[in-house]
Amino acid sequence: MKYSFLRFILVLALAGWGGLVAAQQRTVSGRVTDAQNGSAVPGVSVLIKGTTIGTQTDSEGKYQIKTNEGRTVLQFTFIGLEPQEISVGNRSVVNLQMSESATELTQVVITGYNSTQKKDIIGSVAVVNNSKFRELPVVGIDQALQGQAAGVQVTQSSGTPGGGIKVNIRGNTSISASNRPLYVVDGIPVFDGALTNGYGGQTDNALAFINPNDIESIQVLKDASAKAIYGSRAANGVVVISTKRGKGNNRTVITADVQRGVTEVVKKIDLLNATELLDLQIEAVNNAITANPSLKNSIGGPAQLGLIKGVTDATNTRWLDEVLRKGVYQQYQISATGGSDRTTFYISGSLRDEEGVQLNNRFTRYGGTLNLEHKANNKLKFGTNISLGGTRNNRVVSDNTVAGVYGPSLRSLPYNTPANEKGKLYGYNDTNYPGFPNGNPVGEALLNRQLVLGLKMLGGLFVEYEIAKNLRFRTKGSIDYNAAQEDVYNPVGTFLGSIPGLGGSGYGEYSTTSVSTWLSSSTLTYNHQIGEKHHFSEFLGVEALQTNIRSSFVNGRLFPSADFTYIGSAGVTDDGNSSLSQNGLLSAFGEIKYDYDEKYLVALTARADGSSRFGPNRKYGFFPSLSAAWRISQENFMKRFSFVQDIKLRASVGYTGNERIGNFQFLNVWSSATYNGLSGLGPSRVGSPGLQWERTREMNVGLDASFWNGRVSVIFDAYSNLTDNLLFAQPVPFTTGFATVQGNIGSITNKGLEFTLSTVNIDRAVRWSTDINISNNTNKIVQLASEQPIQRGFQSDGVGSTNVVKQGEPLGTFWGFKFLGVDAATGNAIYDDYNKDGIISAADAQPIGNAQPKLIGGITNRISWKGFDVSGFFQFSYGNKVLNFANEFLLNPGTDLRSNQVRAALRRWQKPGDITDVPRYEYQNNKNSFHSSRYIEDGSYLRLKNVTIGYNIPKKWAAKVKLTTVRVFVSGTNLWTLTRYSGGDPEISTFNETRGRFDDTTIAQGVDFFTLPQVKTLMGGLTISF
Amino acid sequence: MKKNNSNTSIKFSAKLLLLVAVLWLGSCKELLNPRPIDLQTDAVSLNDAADVQPARVGMYSAFRNIGTTMVIAGDATADNLIHIGTFTEYRELTNKQITTANGQVSSLWAAVFRAVYLANFVLEKLPTVSGVRDTERKTVLAEARFLRGMANFIGANTFGGIPKVTTIDQLKNATITKATKQEILASVLEDFQAALTDVPAFSRNLNAGFINKNTVNAALARFHLYQKNYTQAEQSATAVIASNNYTLGLFSDVVTKDFPTESIFELGYTLNDDPGTLNDLFIGRRELIPSNNAINALRASLEAGDRRFTIAFDGTKQKGNDNGWGVQKYGTKDADNNNIVIFRLAEMFLIRAEARALQNRVSGANSAVTDLNVLRTRAKAPLVVGGSQAAVVELIEKERQYELAYEGHRWYDLVRTGRAQAVLGAFSPNWNAKYELWPIPLSEIQRNTSLANAQNPGY
Repeated sequence: MKYSFLRFILVLALAGWGGLVAAQQRTVSGRVTDAQNGSAVPGVSVLIKGTTIGTQTDSEGKYQIKTNEGRTVLQFTFIGLEPQEISVGNRSVVNLQMSESATELTQVVITGYNSTQKKDIIGSVAVVNNSKFRELPVVGIDQALQGQAAGVQVTQSSGTPGGGIKVNIRGNTSISASNRPLYVVDGIPVFDGALTNGYGGQTDNALAFINPNDIESIQVLKDASAKAIYGSRAANGVVVISTKRGKGNNRTVITADVQRGVTEVVKKIDLLNATELLDLQIEAVNNAITANPSLKNSIGGPAQLGLIKGVTDATNTRWLDEVLRKGVYQQYQISATGGSDRTTFYISGSLRDEEGVQLNNRFTRYGGTLNLEHKANNKLKFGTNISLGGTRNNRVVSDNTVAGVYGPSLRSLPYNTPANEKGKLYGYNDTNYPGFPNGNPVGEALLNRQLVLGLKMLGGLFVEYEIAKNLRFRTKGSIDYNAAQEDVYNPVGTFLGSIPGLGGSGYGEYSTTSVSTWLSSSTLTYNHQIGEKHHFSEFLGVEALQTNIRSSFVNGRLFPSADFTYIGSAGVTDDGNSSLSQNGLLSAFGEIKYDYDEKYLVALTARADGSSRFGPNRKYGFFPSLSAAWRISQENFMKRFSFVQDIKLRASVGYTGNERIGNFQFLNVWSSATYNGLSGLGPSRVGSPGLQWERTREMNVGLDASFWNGRVSVIFDAYSNLTDNLLFAQPVPFTTGFATVQGNIGSITNKGLEFTLSTVNIDRAVRWSTDINISNNTNKIVQLASEQPIQRGFQSDGVGSTNVVKQGEPLGTFWGFKFLGVDAATGNAIYDDYNKDGIISAADAQPIGNAQPKLIGGITNRISWKGFDVSGFFQFSYGNKVLNFANEFLLNPGTDLRSNQVRAALRRWQKPGDITDVPRYEYQNNKNSFHSSRYIEDGSYLRLKNVTIGYNIPKKWAAKVKLTTVRVFVSGTNLWTLTRYSGGDPEISTFNETRGRFDDTTIAQGVDFFTLPQVKTLMGGLTISF
Repeated sequence: MKKNNSNTSIKFSAKLLLLVAVLWLGSCKELLNPRPIDLQTDAVSLNDAADVQPARVGMYSAFRNIGTTMVIAGDATADNLIHIGTFTEYRELTNKQITTANGQVSSLWAAVFRAVYLANFVLEKLPTVSGVRDTERKTVLAEARFLRGMANFIGANTFGGIPKVTTIDQLKNATITKATKQEILASVLEDFQAALTDVPAFSRNLNAGFINKNTVNAALARFHLYQKNYTQAEQSATAVIASNNYTLGLFSDVVTKDFPTESIFELGYTLNDDPGTLNDLFIGRRELIPSNNAINALRASLEAGDRRFTIAFDGTKQKGNDNGWGVQKYGTKDADNNNIVIFRLAEMFLIRAEARALQNRVSGANSAVTDLNVLRTRAKAPLVVGGSQAAVVELIEKERQYELAYEGHRWYDLVRTGRAQAVLGAFSPNWNAKYELWPIPLSEIQRNTSLANAQNPGY
């Protein structure tokens, strides 16, 4: 397979090369200067139009070129500057001034291994520039994408700093392989997942190691035309990130940037006070005794359970206020950029420090970046980019767990206090301790040490050589190294540190993980033209990469006292592990692009990948795409519409893949099993030798248009994607001896529309511009091996689990009883008897909602006047449901008495005739708290994500203090949210069954299980450069 | 390089590229076929003599997984435990609101068939493995039959009729239909009898983690008691008792130690591989605590004697609905009593007592009362004097609760003696005759369409 593919690409490529032109010659020379400041512009490409003859300007901006006699036209191009075409006529000296690109059409867009001008793009690519996020307090590039690009859904896991973030591009393509896009930083695919296990949704995030302020722009590749070059890793989209680099204009610019502010949780859930809760609990116990008088013998009455009016509610602790605080956010960065015509550089150092809103939670990042490029001569260029990031994350257990800090702070009864009168915290065995399962949230925050030290090193070296005119060879070697050390200690007095058997007398854990990927890739690119109108661009590449994941951990228990906190002092160290796993990818890829007179464009792109993750019979995959575009605006009949800058129709079709499943899934596997002190073997998995990548067939049509000198530009895309060969651990009957078999079964479709509109509404002294993006995606599981629902997600009362994967339904489908209301006569919940058998049983569970939104988008308005500017950025999600799973504790109709309740509990059914949606409270009755649509809520929201007000001090004032620019700004994030959701925050994390890796799967998205709400940030900033 | 060299440099680069490509493709094999580090493939797992012992250990290990849930089934479905924790799968059991989606239900079902699979694997592959000593082959095959039989016995008593799985053919097992309880029990008896011939005799050199002839006799005793074949039950129990391989030590050893002197078969854990499930449920997280019924039985009267050590009180825990009592039989994760007992000598006396009572040998020599008093003597409890058959049978029911509480017996006992409705109906207003069997897991019915109409009545 791979050999024939290579040959195929070679033949095509060779067929295209040719046609060098020779003719009679004369010399033209001149100098190129910057229109703004008159300085020389070195490195400008000078090309005789219609030929491949060209040169570049030297360090003084000068050039000399031999041209044909006759009507010669010279094309001057330079990245970031407006290209110009000059008719030479009889002149022998042609000087010109170049200014910065006025129109987006000529912007250079990096498309992965290659780059192209925006007007020549055939695929669907969204570009997010640094200016869009530089004044937002975003931790990582994934967060920076939120609301900025059509078709890109970004969901933060919680308000915990440095945590995981879910990014979906054009929906969810996979059930169990990763749904995360591929991130490529300066040509290096980077690790983007969590390095430590964490608890619940609170994972770390390797992308948080990269400082977004070192990023120049982010390109999101969305359709087959743009992505197929990444083959088996591209199905979920590709995010191509370009870091900042120097400009060869002999000026060194030093920029210093300071941001400081405070953070606060966006909403505190309204809970009952001690008196309200006590009345409710007494009522629940009395109701239970009325319903079942024999209970009186075993539990007595409310008083025997410790519920006594005037005594129990004498204390009223507001637990949320005990653990939440205002956090301080600060970020400092200094960078220098510059260079000469031969050497350019960008260097930066930064520090970010963010206190979490939960006590003792803090995330700090130190980063440094160096990008260096040198031209040895006209042909040879080399360079390096090195980025280092170190993080220190003081975590607290939170999110998606009943234990830890935030969950218990909601659940803890107001009757208890965190500490005694002397301020000593109540520990686990203290009689005043709230007790399992709530824990003392204040103690959980303050006493535990849960430190994660992260390190990322990203380094690449490249050499580029121009073998012949326009034929370039580029080779690159790189390494992406990520490491984390997790240092955990739970002393006596905390939940984990006190449970007999687990901690008993302190519990310590130390674990390390490193993920390193080396990569070597080489490409050959060739641009040429035949005649004036046939332009070709081809490239061909090979790539090999290997990832090694090493991890280890050791646990210790029974510490002599809380002063000994490392495992060396543990009395028992009986659990430890170390492991290594490897996977590799070997690929060849290529692309041929052709355009006729910049009017008709066609591209053929393909990649062949061999992956170690697949079965022996299915090692190699081939992913081609074909795309075409028609620039209607270039047609003669369009010339009369002078307001039209550009209208381009695009279409593409192709295949991409998803190879991100675990390693060795294709093997029939036996692993170690122990018994009675002996070691043996037990089968752990049934293999599938035919296991292969998931394949997505993608179709896309799009329209790019730009009018009135770019004042209005529109991008419209429609796509229909079908993913088949879904990698899935298909549940099999237990009678086989196994629970699942890994296989390629089933298919999923994603269909959607995307719309982006950018306008400059006013462009005078006041400039007002608007960017809007709206997208819709419809996801559906078309086929699975069986029609039966596959239960996933959290365990839930009465119906098995919170979510299902089911044929005909989208991913993220909620499962449960359909709640029909509260019986006005009895106060009991009424559930839909779905199968009409007269009994409410698990067989009556049905789909009760879906977490995927119908529409997502963002709207940004910017207004500037003189030095002032204001921008407002709204972001929204419409039509998604949220499972308020925390309410199964916080609005449990009396099932247990160990949780405080939300205010909605006050409208419970109390006497016959009450019409309400909250059932009767009855102690220990499960039936009213069955998992049902009662807990499903509308999760739509519109959020004022950011408002920034800035002022650039006039240059002449700045010059007096020898500065070129001085900018001050204030910025507020998550200031206002419009939603009907009753929980803390409708923007919530996804739960994942594979421990910790919560954002790898989309099966159980949209479940709010004690998720810390997002934080509101108010900050001020100052940027100076000189 | 100068321009006119471009052809040469193209050639040079082409060579370079070719070289790079060749190197790449050369490294391809290594890159694409990394070696797994902690795994072994099916093909090599049982094909020479050295693989026999690892496969045997794997088989016992799989059987061991039944233990935890069997204890939960026997005690939480009955009246020995109440739930004060957070997991509804346990609350459903203690509150008698068991659903077909219950997690414990599918755990036990899965564990039974997992154990059956491993036994079948050994039964199918071992006969053809060359180089294995005959005695070893015979012994391991017999162990496989016993473990399969025992797994099916537990399965049939928990779920009623279940599929009768006899091969490792995945396709066949995935679409298998339900056999009747009688068919399963017939196969269980066949497996036990086959095992009895070939399992090794008792040896002091081996602990009770592995089986021997006594183990099979103990299983037969329980089997026949459940089947109301009282003569055979008495015979098999007597065979074990008369072997004199076991002695009744202090009852507190049963609570606090692994392998007390009376242990016939227990599922062996070490501190390293103990998942801590039971001690976490009973002591660590206090998900399940003794019910008032159990506290009354074990503590309120003197009848239980030393068996009162089965549970203990901790005043710091008593709060709200937590009565402060905790089950001691599995200790804490660090304690050396994490094994789960399947058979011990005391149960043999109880089986024989019941068999004798129901054969109308209530009191006198070699009667129910003599057997009961053996246990009462050991427990330093008042001796019983006998009475009517019905009274003695009732005494035996109580004695079984004292002796075997939290070893997974109570619910099975009440169901087989027809006393479930009377006892459990009084314990919980939610009790319903359908709870005499656990439901077949809903997921299993969904995954295997041959079980479409196989759900137990009432669910």
